[in-house]
Amino acid sequence: MSFIRNAELVPAPARRSLATLFSNVSRWRVPLSILALCIMPWVLPSQALAVNVLIYGLVAVGYNLLFGYTGLLSFGHAAFFGAGAYATGIAIGAFGVHWFIAMLIGVLVSGLLATVMGMLAIRTRGIYFSMVTLALAQLVYYAALQASSWTGGENGLRGFTVSTLHLPGFSVNFLDPLVKYYAIMIVVAAALWFVSRVLNSPFGAVIEAIRENETRARACGYDVERTKLLSFILSGILCGLAGTLSAMHLSIVPLDSLHYHTSGLIVMMTLLGGAGSFFGPFIGALAFLSMEDIFSLWTSNWQLIVGVIFILFVLYLPKGIWGTLISWGKSR
Amino acid sequence: MTNGIETLASRPIGRRAALIGLAGVAGTLSMPWIARAQAETIRIGFPTPLTGPFAAEANDQVRSAQLAVKLANDKGGIAGRKVELLVRDDKLNAGEAATRTLELIEKDKVHAVVGALSSAVQLAVNEVTRARSMLYISISQSDTINEKDFSPYTFHEALNPTMTTAVVARHSFKKGSKVAYLVADYAYGHEMLRGFKRAAKEIGAQTVSEILHPFGAADYSTFIPTILSSGADILCICNFGRDQANSIKQAVDFGVKDQMKIVVPVLLHNQRLAVDPEVFEGVTGGANYYWGLEETMPSAKSFNDAFRAMYKGTIPTDYGAYGYTGVASLLMAIEKAGGTEPQKVIAALEALKYDIAKGEQSYRKCDHQSMQSVLVLESKAKKAMKSDADLFKIVAAEPASESVLRTCSELGFKS
Repeated sequence: MSFIRNAELVPAPARRSLATLFSNVSRWRVPLSILALCIMPWVLPSQALAVNVLIYGLVAVGYNLLFGYTGLLSFGHAAFFGAGAYATGIAIGAFGVHWFIAMLIGVLVSGLLATVMGMLAIRTRGIYFSMVTLALAQLVYYAALQASSWTGGENGLRGFTVSTLHLPGFSVNFLDPLVKYYAIMIVVAAALWFVSRVLNSPFGAVIEAIRENETRARACGYDVERTKLLSFILSGILCGLAGTLSAMHLSIVPLDSLHYHTSGLIVMMTLLGGAGSFFGPFIGALAFLSMEDIFSLWTSNWQLIVGVIFILFVLYLPKGIWGTLISWGKSR
Repeated sequence: MTNGIETLASRPIGRRAALIGLAGVAGTLSMPWIARAQAETIRIGFPTPLTGPFAAEANDQVRSAQLAVKLANDKGGIAGRKVELLVRDDKLNAGEAATRTLELIEKDKVHAVVGALSSAVQLAVNEVTRARSMLYISISQSDTINEKDFSPYTFHEALNPTMTTAVVARHSFKKGSKVAYLVADYAYGHEMLRGFKRAAKEIGAQTVSEILHPFGAADYSTFIPTILSSGADILCICNFGRDQANSIKQAVDFGVKDQMKIVVPVLLHNQRLAVDPEVFEGVTGGANYYWGLEETMPSAKSFNDAFRAMYKGTIPTDYGAYGYTGVASLLMAIEKAGGTEPQKVIAALEALKYDIAKGEQSYRKCDHQSMQSVLVLESKAKKAMKSDADLFKIVAAEPASESVLRTCSELGFKS
């Protein structure tokens, strides 16, 4: 209804230009996203918040690959986030590994964990899939709680602060908030480019086909199980990468990073921003963390405000912030 | 719509309006410089869990810390500078606390951090402040912060589990006592248990049962039959916050008090208030502070009076007092050091002798643990209470002594 009325108001050339604008936005989505990331620390209240947006944005983008594009609702992604963070922290703290190798180890460990969890979980569907991922993630949580000589248990992992990044030829001060932001941003930008490539590839089309109609995708000759598993692993690896960045950023790994609250947070951010859109989850992370940061300065009941906003979104804008914007732009 | 915008944009801006605008911009830009000329404010970051299960204790901490800041500002500031307290909600989450501390250091440019209310959270804050050479006064119980996580920039104003349990055990365990332990399964419970067992060994008390319960448990009924059949004469419950009130209430319902005495490491003011006096009657435990100390100690009296004057006659609680002693001792050291230069403040804190609420206190040089009095309290029966706030009887007030701490060499420090 409403878009017809709008269409009458907007003259034809303007309508076409808006449509071209949106198609340009989606063609140049990676450079535009990176541009947005470049200015973020200057706009947000603090650099620590900006780095958190980067990290949780990446988690949500990785999660969205599985939830938004493949259509699998996982409640266990905190396991990959935490595993990446713990593996990096332990590699640096206990074995004195170079930070770059430690990050690779973090990604590798979360990838392995995702393979194991994925192989067990994709045998089930729907609500059972969510429950199995949740249960497996809780298993990881309690393993980390019990293995306190490795993980620090309840107190969290400490003692691996990276204060200088040694690169071949030069080194940078990682304690400087801006340097830290841009160093982490480079990794996140590369990951975003990777996700964009994956989504544009035939594989990207297949996972969307599975989301739309699994039986039909199977009838077309696609190996649904393998594709789902691959999507699960890719998604786990991206969350693991975000975990390693979080360990480097905070210089601690809290046990809470493995908690199911973190899994819930990831789902919430993705829904708020818009599942199934490339940049939506990032917007979701940005919106959620900024709200938390700003409202918690005003009142200790900030969770109430954030909760009400989330409910309103689920009820009235189920496509999320970015998803709504995009469909509004396309309808023009 | 567009017409409106066009007319607005094409309307000429008058000279007067332009001048006012320019003056406004210039004024705004020069503000920080004017402020700086008056000597920079001393900013103290205060991360604490305003939301979550320890919110009551956290709010008490904030109120006491604000009192310390107000008293400093009322007498004209510290070293000629105003003091400001920046309170942030850490949600009892270590990751959140690390982020807030980073913000406080990087954005708000604080000169020191005081706060945190759980073992994990204070260790997270400690990690961030240590890497950035930032002063940190920790006001929550922990043993680890004196050993593996020691930082030259960190001072531990709270009691630690070793000293708490040493004093509590001295006044409640006897040679030959049989002790059953009910312990919350996380760092706080484990450290308290370790302390009690160390003290019990010296006294000659024996352990008959050791039960772990999950953090935040609501139901303790499954543990109690084991405790009752253990033949213990002391039940030692090592948990914190709401868990303390819940577990004691259920133990009492099952008649545990008829057979044994209940001992806790820290007898919490707010948890006692949360239930009826009959439930806690006779329960013994330690404390860093109790307002009733004012009858014998002049510094406690003046702290209570200042608190009553600021907060309409209410009294400070145990964990609240940490907020006061933590901030006040830091400000005294800044005053002595004549500024906020970290190395000078560290030297001043190490040399500081202060009596601001609970008798003589000082920071031990090797591990920066505050040596202070430890109280042993017993919860009063309803008929013995003179007022609603008259909760506990002070069984003992052990003055500051190094003997209840682990020695420096035991902790791995030289000297």
